[in-house]
Amino acid sequence: MWFFIARRVLYAVPILLGVSFVVFLLMKMVPGDAADILIPPEAPREVAAMIRARFGLDQPIHIQYLRWLQAMASGDFGTSIFTNQPVADELFGALANTLKLALPAALLGFSLGVLLGALAAHYSGTWLDKLFSAFAITGVSLPHYWVGMVLVAIFAVVLNVLPGQGMGPEGFPSTWEHARHLILPVITLSLIPMGVVSRLVRANVLEIRSMEFISALAAKGLMGRRVLLHILKNAAPSALALMGLQFGYLLGGSILVETVFNWPGSGSLMNLAIFRRDIPVLSATILVLAAIFVAINILIDVLQALIDPRIRR
Amino acid sequence: MSLQDAIAVRPVAEALQRAQAGKSYWSRVRERLLADRITMAVMALLASIIVIVLAAPLIATHDPTVGSVFARLKSPGYQGHWLGTDEVGRDLWSRILYGGRLSLLCGVAPVAFALLAGGSLGLLAGYRGGIINSLIMRSMDVLYAFPSILLAIAICGMLGAGLVNTILALTVTFIPPIVRISETVTAQVRSFEFVEAAQASGAKPLSIIRFHILNNVLGPILVYATSLISISIILAAGLSFLGLGITPPDAEWGLMLNNLRQAIWVNPLVAALPGAMIFITSMCFNLVSDGLRSAMDVRI
Amino acid sequence: MICRDWTGCRLAGLTTVAWLGAIAAAIPSIAQGTLRIAMTATDVPTTTGVPNNGFEGVRFMGFTAFDALVNWDLSRADKAADIVPGLAESWQQDAGDRKKWTFKLRSGVSFQDGTHFNADTVIWNLDRSFKQGVPQFDPQGSAINRGRPTYFAENGYRKVDDSTIEFTTTRPISYFPYVLTTLFYVSPTAFEKAGNWAEFAKAPVGTGPFQVRNFKSRISVDLVKNAGYWDKARIPKLDKVVLFPMPEANTRLAALRSGQVDWIEVPPPDAIDGLKKAGFEVVTNSYPHVWPWVLNTAKADSPFRDLKVRQAVNYCIDRDGLVTLLAGTAEPSVGFFKKGDPRFGKPKNDYKFDPAMARKLLAEAGYGAGKTVKGKIMISTSGSGQMLPLPMNEFLQQSMKQCGFDISFEVVEWGTMLVAFRAEPTAPQAVNSDGMNISLVSSDVSMVVRWFYGENVTPKGSNWGHWRNPDFDALLLKMEGAVNPEEFRKTLGAMHEMLVDEAPWVWIVHDRNPRAMTRQVQGFVSAQSWFQDLTRVSIR
Repeated sequence: MWFFIARRVLYAVPILLGVSFVVFLLMKMVPGDAADILIPPEAPREVAAMIRARFGLDQPIHIQYLRWLQAMASGDFGTSIFTNQPVADELFGALANTLKLALPAALLGFSLGVLLGALAAHYSGTWLDKLFSAFAITGVSLPHYWVGMVLVAIFAVVLNVLPGQGMGPEGFPSTWEHARHLILPVITLSLIPMGVVSRLVRANVLEIRSMEFISALAAKGLMGRRVLLHILKNAAPSALALMGLQFGYLLGGSILVETVFNWPGSGSLMNLAIFRRDIPVLSATILVLAAIFVAINILIDVLQALIDPRIRR
Repeated sequence: MSLQDAIAVRPVAEALQRAQAGKSYWSRVRERLLADRITMAVMALLASIIVIVLAAPLIATHDPTVGSVFARLKSPGYQGHWLGTDEVGRDLWSRILYGGRLSLLCGVAPVAFALLAGGSLGLLAGYRGGIINSLIMRSMDVLYAFPSILLAIAICGMLGAGLVNTILALTVTFIPPIVRISETVTAQVRSFEFVEAAQASGAKPLSIIRFHILNNVLGPILVYATSLISISIILAAGLSFLGLGITPPDAEWGLMLNNLRQAIWVNPLVAALPGAMIFITSMCFNLVSDGLRSAMDVRI
Repeated sequence: MICRDWTGCRLAGLTTVAWLGAIAAAIPSIAQGTLRIAMTATDVPTTTGVPNNGFEGVRFMGFTAFDALVNWDLSRADKAADIVPGLAESWQQDAGDRKKWTFKLRSGVSFQDGTHFNADTVIWNLDRSFKQGVPQFDPQGSAINRGRPTYFAENGYRKVDDSTIEFTTTRPISYFPYVLTTLFYVSPTAFEKAGNWAEFAKAPVGTGPFQVRNFKSRISVDLVKNAGYWDKARIPKLDKVVLFPMPEANTRLAALRSGQVDWIEVPPPDAIDGLKKAGFEVVTNSYPHVWPWVLNTAKADSPFRDLKVRQAVNYCIDRDGLVTLLAGTAEPSVGFFKKGDPRFGKPKNDYKFDPAMARKLLAEAGYGAGKTVKGKIMISTSGSGQMLPLPMNEFLQQSMKQCGFDISFEVVEWGTMLVAFRAEPTAPQAVNSDGMNISLVSSDVSMVVRWFYGENVTPKGSNWGHWRNPDFDALLLKMEGAVNPEEFRKTLGAMHEMLVDEAPWVWIVHDRNPRAMTRQVQGFVSAQSWFQDLTRVSIR
């Protein structure tokens, strides 16, 4: 078991190196660099040259890459070319903000998803099934950022009961004021996970229910809840896998919702960094997000292996 | 987006085993499909959307890029504009039609290219095994480490907006899961006895692949692909929303959504249409995917 | 409801009234102080005394917390803002050597931490941007400050005595004080205590009417009243201003309408009607901003090398239509300065939407029914001062068809456009464009020099189109060497006439700087400037 875990963790290292390489490559394909954005258009050439030298932008690509890699490895995430603030501060602050959105959205989405999926499977074939399935499909077919905008228009502007944007007060969400700011973005963000999880759970439950060993259990006299437990235990691995991936997606893909709600999270940080070609911030953000994603994947693999020993690739 | 990669492998393998039962499988599939009225209805709807949108040059009432500043954000029915006008005075009906072409293109093309590229890569990796397999699969793992939308945004953000870059970015995003499925299935099929038997009897590798693997994998891949198309449409619209996808004056539903955001205060009906189109089309693809799935008895 | 117990009722009534009165009295003192503003910036502008985010950064994080040697008079809405003494109380150009300027510093001014303001602090601050070796050298700040031409010679500034600084310019510049308006001064003591600029940014110390507090990157920053401000007439009425970056127009709109902020920059034009109906104030005014097409006269096959074609374009712009499209948040532009500006002069061409005239000019240039003018213009998706580039340009494209212009666009992202703007118009960055739609500043004559002087062509300077006219350059040098205001005004007028008649740019519109605010905001005077004075504002 430990060997399995160790293998997975060790494997993550070359993956991350590969990710860093891809990120760096993408960045170099961009016309212009941070210096061009930072400097007002009318600046004399020496100013541009000075900035480039200062931030090592005039070095050949592979030198820049190696230097950057070295810094990252020693924990130095560098300084934002634009704001002069240490990247680590900005990045982890932004990540914390995104987590404030992603965790409740995941909880909401997953629980609703499991509920809807289980209910749909239970009432399979009836109009209730169709209803719940319709909810699920709507969740994955709607452009969720559009839903966000509509919600803002209705609840913030017309009805004026919820704030239309922003994160509200600082700090760990613990007050009603915090909650008010969370409601609309969390609902918006939870739509897709809800839909995806619900569809998977329904399909899984149906499949397992139709399996022979369940009928065998029923024949043995096991009723209701005990059977449900067996079903859940069998459905869990793939459901967990899905939830993990969806959570990773929430963390990395929150940019659209953050744009609509002006939420200062990692998605909007990355968006800003792309447009400003702020390489230190951009590379660190992508790398950290990818690392989290990889870590989630490892966690899922381990959990799956624990629950179902057959799944050990 | 990545739901399928974790679970698609199993049903594909099962489908293979079932498919070995013979040709009656496909005729059974067809029967089931025809009997499923909801899926047939949705397929008809989708087909009509596609046909209408493709026929845009014939049924559009105006040039989708021409607008009159004095006819901005008008309600449906104004001066021959069936659905009203947009924020620059262009006919909304025509823009929805032409926009649909680009949106559908951005939905289907990336998936098609990814199927081609990813499918071949996976096939190669699965059939040859060894170093080639490791090389390909490990590269895919690297791409896999990116949450999909991040990758699409990063690519478009770096290379710039536009139709070509959008399709490229989305294709790259979809390749990893397809490679994975394709590789696993190929590896499994390769290990079946009938393939070894075919090899022993002197059949060429290509024909083995073609006959056995493609025939049997087609079903589940089709299911997966249709659900991917719906995701691709939404992602492309999202990219245009961020200013990274299709560029003006072209019409595309996501771009129109972005442009019409302010219109929500002036003429909300007009503002809701592109969003509704994205929703309906995406939903149709999803429903068709589900229908195919039940018909092919792919149990997931 | 009829009161049965009359006495009890009266008592209850009185108590209620008294209680409500107490609350009502208390509320103004809470609400009165704080003004919440939503900016279009994507991030909180840097607070270190060199604001980024362009002129919006200077507007909210420049003149609020800091002063320059030369400030702007932002108290009048009826005429273009002009300069006034700031931290320097007077200045003098040397009669003999016209490259030397002597600035007398204001006495009795202290930074917000008590440090005395004098010549040493001025030198220290200038070194921060212009001298690479010093401990306080700030690369980002330097890039921004040196990006705006200062015309400093080598060792261009020196201390004469504790309250006098002498500047030396590269050539005689009659408008030199104008270029000093965006150089701000911070307390060296505070920097030394902080140790580096990143730390300093968290609690910066300047001389301005407000003090920066609570800097939260990407979220907000507070500007707190500085009761000890040296200009007693401009001590703020507000207790606090909170600034929020909100790059999305719709988000700003939602924030204003839902009561989360009191004032937003640049509301979406379509929403303006609705805002007015809902009881909000929408304030607009002219300001020195130009939204042109900068024409490429260097590219060999550019149709705009021909003067007649350039003039024809100017006659083919439906300016009024565009203004309608923008719901009145812009005004027609027929020159670099606004028509009616004392510097406008009397050009021969009075541009208006005249397709017949345009076609006539094109015919003279050799175009006609069979041969349309094909041009590619580089436009951006957004950007500071770019207004709504996509719909605006598409509108222009359509209306120009009737004169025989076939215009296509190269849509790029703002950053890419800035890169191209810095390079030659024939460089690959220009992607073969025949013109660029980039909004530029027209606040004073130093800007005329920047964009049009023949020696200032890119990449050396900022004349992207490489428009060169020897007569214009001669006038310009004369203007720079002008010895009296009359000569200055006349030459400037003649220069502007050339700018109109020679049409190096397509004159399209001037932005009108719209902002929307609640009716509670009082005392705001919309100055004709990129900058605004928040010290006169109060909130009910």
